[in-house]
Amino acid sequence: MIIKMMLSAACLLWAGTVLADPPKGYPFVDFDAGLKAAKASGKPIFVYFGRYGCAWCDHTNKQTFSDAGLKKLYSEHYALVYVDAESGKRLTLPSGERITEAELGARLQAFATPLFVYMTPQGEKIFQAPGFKTVKDFQDYDRYVRGGHYKQKTLLEFLGGKS
Amino acid sequence: MRAAALLLLAVLAWPAHAAWTWSETLTVNSVQGAAIFPHIESANRQGVAVSGYTVGVVWEDNRDGSPQCYLATKPAAAASFQPEMQLSKGECYEPVVIALGAGRFVAAWEEGGKVHARVLPGGKTLQLSKAGSAQVTLALRDHALYAAWAEQAGRFKRIVVARLVLKGDALSVKSAQPVEAAMPADEQGWPALAVAGDGSVTVVWEDRRHRHTVPMTSHSRDGKSFALPARLTDRKSGSVDGLGAGTGAMRPTLTAWGEQGIAAVWLDKRDFLSGYDVYAAFDPGTRSFGRNIKVQDNFGDNMAQWHALVVGDASGKLVALWDDARDGTPDVWLSEWAGEAFGDDLAVPAAAGPGGQSDPVATLDAAGTLHVVWLDRDEAAGTRIRYARAVRR
Repeated sequence: MIIKMMLSAACLLWAGTVLADPPKGYPFVDFDAGLKAAKASGKPIFVYFGRYGCAWCDHTNKQTFSDAGLKKLYSEHYALVYVDAESGKRLTLPSGERITEAELGARLQAFATPLFVYMTPQGEKIFQAPGFKTVKDFQDYDRYVRGGHYKQKTLLEFLGGKS
Repeated sequence: MRAAALLLLAVLAWPAHAAWTWSETLTVNSVQGAAIFPHIESANRQGVAVSGYTVGVVWEDNRDGSPQCYLATKPAAAASFQPEMQLSKGECYEPVVIALGAGRFVAAWEEGGKVHARVLPGGKTLQLSKAGSAQVTLALRDHALYAAWAEQAGRFKRIVVARLVLKGDALSVKSAQPVEAAMPADEQGWPALAVAGDGSVTVVWEDRRHRHTVPMTSHSRDGKSFALPARLTDRKSGSVDGLGAGTGAMRPTLTAWGEQGIAAVWLDKRDFLSGYDVYAAFDPGTRSFGRNIKVQDNFGDNMAQWHALVVGDASGKLVALWDDARDGTPDVWLSEWAGEAFGDDLAVPAAAGPGGQSDPVATLDAAGTLHVVWLDRDEAAGTRIRYARAVRR
């Protein structure tokens, strides 16, 4: 029985790593589950829009998301959502519209992966940032989002104003 | 000076705009609203067909509170579409339609997690697969009717191709087999089918066996036994400095073209900094695809392209369509094969300008008329499904 359970757990773990490429150890969930969790918790949403086999996603996972402090920061304070840029899996937008994960890329006009999208707990987009990011970048974005600065300033204004 | 410059631009642009003469634009869906979301995405983007003198358009929307599939038709010369009929009873996605001739169609769709097909008008719905299945597509040449779909096989979906038999209005599955007998090693999906002039069947699909998405292809002389899959792309898989597995590509589409040929078009991210580009490859009749060719012109290079498809006919006409936002908002573009390369990108006039016009589907009828359907988004009034046809001058 124990062996059967271990095999099942191993299969689930493997399935999680082959279907998409979210960083290891983070509690990423799919879009619908993330929106539901965000509404319940009041936490902002962090969408990791990645692509299966994407080199820059892999690079960001290894160089940036491996940071223990970043993992703690984002795991505790965000509803973490992973979206597969080429997937036909369906999700429901806050408007009620059902589209595929790939179609979300078209709606966001995503031109590169990874693409990171910050949303309010209600699913309204705050901003999106494409490409490789450092730990410092994500810390800055966190201060911008959770500090509520996005209500008064653009991200560039916020980053330009900090010292 | 300014007037002279504008005149020069108009003269330069004239040959491109003069290439197609467009009809009046019509709205297809009779019910719209801010919370109603029509979709015309499907495997091989087969959302419109012309059967004799009848145009048929299929789509999915949620007007009744759940996604349902619909078909609307109109006589080719009519100024409006007839009220749509509902094809499904349960949650329905990604419907396709092909023409049987004389005003008859075959539609197929996913409903309740399985794929179905039906002859219209009349006909009863046939469930094509007992297993979980999705992303169905159809192809017909003479009396040979085929369907393909992605079917659950263990942990992943794989591509299944079926020969369908039509007797009167009744459809049945004569044979259905996976392209590969072995269980899939990773996810497969979004098949596209084409039947060439020699009766052989070509199928392309998205395949993740190489740890990233690769459009793959196989063909069959008899529609039963398929050749070993080959890559549709001429890009190799592989990591860069130990990172990743390869560039992205998705949603391959196919059309029979000329006497024996097959053409494929898909979205390709080999230039990973500018989003997906539209790429094409040709099989002149050898049953293997040649080098890949970029479809869009240089003005679309720094812009992501979406929702690409290709349509062709026996006379050799070949047109690729997609949408991109190079002019600020999504517009529908087309490019015609000119023998050595694809021609300049042309905006579909009624599907360009302010607002979002996207998600084209298209077909060429027996006379070579191009029929195009797209989504015209308006958040307040709701999305309209729009239709126009064009004749090549």
